[in-house]
Amino acid sequence: MIEQKVMDPQQLFFEAERQEVFITGSEIVKEAVKRANVDIAISYPITPQSESMHLVGDLYAEGYVKEYFRGESEFAVMSEVIGAAMAGVRVFTATGGQGALRAFENFPNWSGSRLPLVCAFMTRGLNAPLSIQPDTLEMAFMLDTGMIILHAEAAQDIYDMLLKAFIIAEKTDVHIPVGVFMDGFFVTHTRDKVKITPAEFKLPPYEPYSSPIPVMDMENVPFRHMRDPFVMKSNFISYAAHASWQQEVLAAAERSRRYIQQYLGGLVEKENENADILIITSGTAVSQSQEAIAMAQQEGIDVGLVKIKCIRPFPTAEIQQLAANAKAIIVPEFNRVGWMCRELKSVIEDNTKVVGGPRVFGGMTMPPEMILDEIRRCTQ
Amino acid sequence: MNKNLFKISPGYEEIMPAEYLDLINDGPYGKNYGVDDLGTFKELLEEHPLCAGCGLALSMRLILASLPNPEDTIIVGSTGCSALAFPQVAVQNIHSLFGNQNAVATGLKRALKLRFPDKIKDVVVVAGDGATVDIGLDMVMHSWFRKENITTIMLDNEAYANTGGQESGMSQEKAVLNMAPTGKKFPKIALPEVAQAAGCAYVGEVSPLQAKRLGKMVRNAILIAREIGPTYLQLYSPCPTNYKFKSNETMQKIKDRVKDGTFKVKEYITPEAEQFLAGIEEGKK
Amino acid sequence: MAEKTWIRMSGLGGQGVITCAHILATAANQEGKESTVNPFFGAEKRLAPAESYVRISSEVIHERGEILKPDIIMIFHPHVITLGKCYTMPFYEGLQPGGNVIINSDQPLAISKEDLEKLNQMQAKVFYVSATQIASEVGGTELSTNMAMLGALLGVAKVVSFDAVKFAVQDRFGGKNFVASGSTAALDDVMKSKFAKVTQLIEKNMNVVEEASKRVEEYQL
Ligand SMILES: Cc1ncc(C[n+]2csc(CCOP(=O)(O)OP(=O)(O)O)c2C)c(N)n1
Ligand SMILES: [Mg+2]
Repeated sequence: MIEQKVMDPQQLFFEAERQEVFITGSEIVKEAVKRANVDIAISYPITPQSESMHLVGDLYAEGYVKEYFRGESEFAVMSEVIGAAMAGVRVFTATGGQGALRAFENFPNWSGSRLPLVCAFMTRGLNAPLSIQPDTLEMAFMLDTGMIILHAEAAQDIYDMLLKAFIIAEKTDVHIPVGVFMDGFFVTHTRDKVKITPAEFKLPPYEPYSSPIPVMDMENVPFRHMRDPFVMKSNFISYAAHASWQQEVLAAAERSRRYIQQYLGGLVEKENENADILIITSGTAVSQSQEAIAMAQQEGIDVGLVKIKCIRPFPTAEIQQLAANAKAIIVPEFNRVGWMCRELKSVIEDNTKVVGGPRVFGGMTMPPEMILDEIRRCTQ
Repeated sequence: MNKNLFKISPGYEEIMPAEYLDLINDGPYGKNYGVDDLGTFKELLEEHPLCAGCGLALSMRLILASLPNPEDTIIVGSTGCSALAFPQVAVQNIHSLFGNQNAVATGLKRALKLRFPDKIKDVVVVAGDGATVDIGLDMVMHSWFRKENITTIMLDNEAYANTGGQESGMSQEKAVLNMAPTGKKFPKIALPEVAQAAGCAYVGEVSPLQAKRLGKMVRNAILIAREIGPTYLQLYSPCPTNYKFKSNETMQKIKDRVKDGTFKVKEYITPEAEQFLAGIEEGKK
Repeated sequence: MAEKTWIRMSGLGGQGVITCAHILATAANQEGKESTVNPFFGAEKRLAPAESYVRISSEVIHERGEILKPDIIMIFHPHVITLGKCYTMPFYEGLQPGGNVIINSDQPLAISKEDLEKLNQMQAKVFYVSATQIASEVGGTELSTNMAMLGALLGVAKVVSFDAVKFAVQDRFGGKNFVASGSTAALDDVMKSKFAKVTQLIEKNMNVVEEASKRVEEYQL
């Protein structure tokens, strides 16, 4: 193994010197994992994710990751990481699109089992005919798996969110998985400038006995889990245990808010948020909106921007406050169903001012002019 | 496991549950018990909720009594009848999803190797026939192809028992079951042969009728998996509920099958594994 | 106002479109400009449509994805136009007024009268360059077609300097830092096997760039 010095997370995130490099999203994943003190990484190919896990494989060959292999399917991989996490090590994996849905049954199981897994999701279209192009539709399915869901806008977010995801996921009072989502191609394959910390420093190792549930290593007291298994619906206790456990998983996500605040500076970022017209969105749609807002400014239209970084838990209070005085809220999205719009409408009191769209899908790029059109309409 | 871990701190003897005390005072951890010793120690499984006369329950009891190293064994189960009994088993065990048991075991074993490079940690999969041969077959076989150091044990009751007696790949040809209303259209899957072709170092078929033999085979399978490679055991464990026989006829059912030639105890071992076992015997002398 | 040049490159898988874009963006960065580059492709197959988008600006670039309003369009293979092997139809869609189109072909393509008229209305300039031929003649391998296209670009518009391109080529093939995706990595190995030394590879490729910059010709619409 390559020797790296352990650095306190707070210091690594906020104080360590940073060097600017010009690399692709996939390469940023490699750089983040290199510094994350990952024990095991398990891979399975799917465009646009494959490249990043090839590179994590290189980290294994170079001695930065202790164990790495290609599993037999996404379903299997997402179960293999369960075993590894239950045995008390830090695990990383990645998938996207069809891969995410193939593995789907595992995700609620991850959170229900309180596993601090970190998985990168590199989004891709899902419908037939087959597509490999970017589309954030899969995120709609992932929202209620119990995972913490972060959405990277661009290069720098990938690096910061991935490293911070491990630390947030592993807090004893959180200890649930984190999905770091990034838009396929737009983010994974774009070469951009990103500031990274020196490779000689890594995060502290995962401490297995900080887990709120027993580690499956037979190094803690042997016990019988329970008198009646949950699935025996014969008994009031099993109902009560199941119901309270679901609440506990939700509560764990709620408790992550303060760590997301501490490490990511909040669940949202905002610019000129007092403008009458607000754009609220996440991922690449934020980047396109920035261009549209600059164009609108030239026409003398004042538009604010709210970037949602964390979608689960949802920034309900933040959004309610930001939306209160806006006259119109535009929600550009890279998917057909408009899940972000649904989310926003469900928490904004006067949700008639929420404009769902523009939307592109099937791999299309969203021209900033499309957003500008929507802005112009809102001024009428 | 460090034995000091489960020692009761002075002063707490009174308040610990009786069951815990029994396990500490009379349990099998570190004792090297086997099937022959049943009845003389506190077993790892008790008061299970399975049906009277359940073949699986018998198999599980015998498996648990035969673990060579219970204090350092982690069992990975799957959804099915056995999942109802596992919560009452006193070694750490995982239930994750229906069919993913060999994938979970793969990750678990590799992680335990990283964390405890100098310690034996046995990972044993115990799952139903549906879990093993149908829904989880790709992951079962891939764990064999990859030569994972895990033992896979199938509790073969020739049906999906937990969901009400549907046909499984292990049901016999022509068997009339739910979802096979006119009888099963293809033979019982030859998983032991598949296991050999897929690289298992040791493969066996046995049942609770041959209790001692079963105990020996479980032990062999676990010891070989530790050092040589994947091993597979198939335990015929008839289901009185779904095959509609009386709960005191389970053993008779197996005897009938032995008689008509549809069930036989079988063992397959690679020369390498055989040599390894012989080495252990040598060491004992 | 930001000074921007948006360049859309369309070609076929295996022609080095993505590598060409990468070298151009690295060169722009080297000169202190802001630049991003991102590719778009379907299956990783030779001869399947492959595009890459290079944005060069004096200010930070937010916009992502396909370039829908390019200032320059580079066509690496006649099939992009004649067989529609590209993500944009027609190939000049979105070209900005007074924009440039650079096409790799030994002779002018049979572009319809209607399309030529439209290009004329947009005050577009169309250039042809025998990039594949120059690559074979000067570089000794068709794999240098992308470098010839880059040269043609410099012949048409000085978006970056030759020195910056040389730095970027060196960084791409000589450096340890670059990471190529599966199929690109395989082609890299073929490319490198054609030259005894990396220095030779860089020198030959720079010769291709220079030669093509001189041999690109405007076509009168
Ligand atoms: C993905 C999924 N599909 C179906 C089920 C329903 N299910 C639960 S147990 C079971 C049958 C188990 O059969 P087997 O593995 O033979 O075990 P047995 O109950 O016979 O011991 C089925 C189909 C499930 N839990 N998960
Ligand atoms: Mg069964």
